[in-house]
Amino acid sequence: MPEDAIENLPDGLKPGPPEGWERAWWRPMNYGLAMLVVALFGVPLIWMIATSLRPLGMPPATQFEWLPPMLSLTNYPQLFRILEIGLFARNSVMVVLIAVPLTLLTASLAGFALAELGPRLRGILVTVSVIAMLVPAITLWITRFLVFKWVGILDTPMALIAPAIMGTSPLFVLMFAWAFQRLPRELIEQAMIDGASPWRVWWTLALPLVRPITLAVAILSAKYYWSDFISPLFYIQSQEFYTLPIGLQALQQMDRTNWPLLMAGSVLLTLPVLVVFILAQRYFFQEERQRGWLEQR
Amino acid sequence: MASWRLGVSVLTFYVLRFTLRPTRLRLTRFTGIWYAGATVFRIPQYRKHLLIMLAPYILGLSGLVLLPTLMTAPIAFVDFDALSPPRPVGLDNFREMRRDDQFWNGLKASLILLLIAVPLRVCGALLLALLLRARQWGFGFFRGVAYLPTIIPDVAYALVWLYIFNPLYGPLNSISQMFASGAENELMPAGAPPGIWLTDPRAAQVAIMLMLMFTVGEGFVLLLAGLHEIPGDIYDAAALDGASGFDQVTRITLPLLAPSLILLTVRDTIFVLEASFVAATIVTLGGPYYATSYLPFWIYQNVTDFQRFGYGAAMTWVLFAITLAVVAVQFWVARRWRGIQYA
Repeated sequence: MPEDAIENLPDGLKPGPPEGWERAWWRPMNYGLAMLVVALFGVPLIWMIATSLRPLGMPPATQFEWLPPMLSLTNYPQLFRILEIGLFARNSVMVVLIAVPLTLLTASLAGFALAELGPRLRGILVTVSVIAMLVPAITLWITRFLVFKWVGILDTPMALIAPAIMGTSPLFVLMFAWAFQRLPRELIEQAMIDGASPWRVWWTLALPLVRPITLAVAILSAKYYWSDFISPLFYIQSQEFYTLPIGLQALQQMDRTNWPLLMAGSVLLTLPVLVVFILAQRYFFQEERQRGWLEQR
Repeated sequence: MASWRLGVSVLTFYVLRFTLRPTRLRLTRFTGIWYAGATVFRIPQYRKHLLIMLAPYILGLSGLVLLPTLMTAPIAFVDFDALSPPRPVGLDNFREMRRDDQFWNGLKASLILLLIAVPLRVCGALLLALLLRARQWGFGFFRGVAYLPTIIPDVAYALVWLYIFNPLYGPLNSISQMFASGAENELMPAGAPPGIWLTDPRAAQVAIMLMLMFTVGEGFVLLLAGLHEIPGDIYDAAALDGASGFDQVTRITLPLLAPSLILLTVRDTIFVLEASFVAATIVTLGGPYYATSYLPFWIYQNVTDFQRFGYGAAMTWVLFAITLAVVAVQFWVARRWRGIQYA
């Protein structure tokens, strides 16, 4: 019997199980299960926000509740009153504003050089980068402290920005290198024949073509510097240089049980990351893939 | 004199030999444009510019990662408080470690954490990716929500869990009391034992593992990308041959995901050690009864509270060696597992 004859048979007469029969019962279950799991993952953030809205001075809840009986934003101004949250936030913003462009600059330059250098040197450098990526940050704390002390940037914001000169993480450099390597070779050679210097090729040709990678590195490194807790804990002592995460820890040490206030501080720290994440979500899950001539290589 | 002539000619020979060496042997294709094996166009000093571009990265990498890693070794053999000059003490730091109950306690806690939390996290990320990979309506939103706990900054995340575990007002306790029966009063409702989460040593360890289970977003995204790379034809062929859904996962998905899984396990090992430090610093303060004073936390205390850089470096060394050993074992297991798969 020819193939299409089988295809054209009515459903009941087709040989084998009916189409999609094993999926039929699974689909709604999959949906329900997914919703359940996802609800579980959303809960910490929901509790954080809900608790931060409990009015100042209201006694804590003794029973479980999703939302406090009265909602107010009084905890947020209170934060600024009892601690110099404004200063800490400004420090954090400054660190991010300096470190992220610096990261983009060094990581993309190094990535471009890695992509353009000969295979032998590239192989060595990629290996070193991967090894550096595997070194646990914990093993670096002590000696970085001593290096910073020796250089004289201990207890200054420079100590927080310092990783930016190596592109924050070797991963970011490798991300750029892989992106640049995917660019069509002829394009870069053509630019070189036309007399463009490598700097010019990098700035006017290569960088604009890898914009999604630039965006990803910018977001990831901004998140790193914004939420970095360990570096300021180790390298910063003066309160004038505290960043927001350390300020939050100070808040916790001042007032251990004022949960609405602590949660308000947490929301303040989380909100910028959340907004950026929501805006950039489609890039994270690669739902919008870079298509067209760049993908041919 | 013949001798200086000989000297000059030998010198000339070698100078000529090295300067007149066919230049293309020393050039890579990146120093210029090649045509039919000959350099037809050379960018002056292209390579030099590339090396200048690379310089900050190399400088930073050696100053902030490579040098500090290597420096840990000599510091482990001195007594150093960062104020007075270091005093060499030989192996004393390591001898002290042997007698230090805190060290062994921290080591044990860290290893238990690694042994339980890392496999759970990898499995969790895998299950999440399998569950949420569908391209159905609403799943894009689900994927976003599943990633949410990962983006919350460490301190805020730890504070939220400190609140969740709170014995009196924490949601977890209120929920468990909703299900418990018995007399209640306003302040301390009776029923389920209140607040065991952070006061019982074993429960505190479980609590930290629980809070680590929610931050699997990065592994989830990595595995999701891996799942989408697997062509659907393979599953169709397997289904045609009568493979059940479970078989498809164990025989097709897992072996094809193996590289991602290995990468993820290695990364998670390092991540968990670091996350355990933040959790111990904020949620449990190393307690109760030092149950959660993991090795990184004990190192931190030695360095900042007691100014004992030498001893801290010695312990860091041990921690580093253990991490390397764990990673090596993971690679070994993964290779054997793949060997079995393809045999």
